[in-house]
Amino acid sequence: MDGFAEKLASKLHHYSVLPFSDVNGTVDAVDPFVLTNYTFFLVIAFVITLVFFLVAARRVSIVPQGIGQVAEAGYEFIRNLCVDNMGKDGAKYAPFIGTLFFFILFNNVIGLVPGALPGTGSIGVTATWALMVFIVYNAIGFKKNGVIGYLKSFVPSGVREMGPGGRFTLGPFIFILEIVGHFLRPLTLAVRLYANMFAGGIILGIFGIFMILGVQQLGALGITMTGFGFMMLVIMYGFKVFVAFIQAYVFAILTSVYIGGALHASEH
Amino acid sequence: MEGSLNVLGAGIAYGLAAFGPGLGIGIIGGKAVEAMARQPEMAGKVQTTMFIAIAFTEALALLGFVLALILSA
Repeated sequence: MDGFAEKLASKLHHYSVLPFSDVNGTVDAVDPFVLTNYTFFLVIAFVITLVFFLVAARRVSIVPQGIGQVAEAGYEFIRNLCVDNMGKDGAKYAPFIGTLFFFILFNNVIGLVPGALPGTGSIGVTATWALMVFIVYNAIGFKKNGVIGYLKSFVPSGVREMGPGGRFTLGPFIFILEIVGHFLRPLTLAVRLYANMFAGGIILGIFGIFMILGVQQLGALGITMTGFGFMMLVIMYGFKVFVAFIQAYVFAILTSVYIGGALHASEH
Repeated sequence: MEGSLNVLGAGIAYGLAAFGPGLGIGIIGGKAVEAMARQPEMAGKVQTTMFIAIAFTEALALLGFVLALILSA
């Protein structure tokens, strides 16, 4: 099994954030304004998303055809998701959720192409979106319920209606717990997407290296290693396709649930 | 020496952090399938609730993942 560690190290190196001009170099990208290997594919995904929806919106007709049909079905799916999670006025937020969903989806799908990287496999990208979601849903909460009303909603109504003994002991405790929970939301949102996309690529890399090492071996061991590596590679690739869709869906659904919670904060 | 212990700690931390949420997500998924089989007309709502519950449970495993990254860095 010699050579596994070095090959793994070089494969992992492919997944670290490197300046795009020097992908095979050893210097990690530290300058925030340099084009990295991840941002390169992020820009490609951005262009694809933009072109896809511009082409779909160019020929709007009552009976959509071609790309328009796909885009319309996707948008309807997102609008239903918004209405389900936010009530009747949820359709207003469908463009925001839809943009997030399709941009993440195109990023994830680009990551499936051998040699390409998912833009979402970089923590900086996902953390920015998660922070944006955090700001948006809190802004909606403050706007809809007022500052006092929104902060009040952090303590459940059952505790608020208790006697002063329960209200002033349990109340602050739950309030602090809720605040911590709210700050954990963007963190988990960012790490979930990043970890899934980042780890997916590394798993494929590991089984790919396993296969290459099997080809170099002779005899039964080599055949077994190659067969096992290839089988796992196919299974994991299928799983990665599934994960690419499910993670975009989970990001969209959680964003809509958070916004829905902020919209109806005063009701519970 | 200290570095290798850090890596060991990171591995153990992530393993333990994934243990509980793994069980939890299994229970959530199983119960969701049970509910959908009982009342297929509620499948959409059950699915949404299931994803939200999974998100809360998964958060613990993700915190373990972050801790492992911090420890091994």
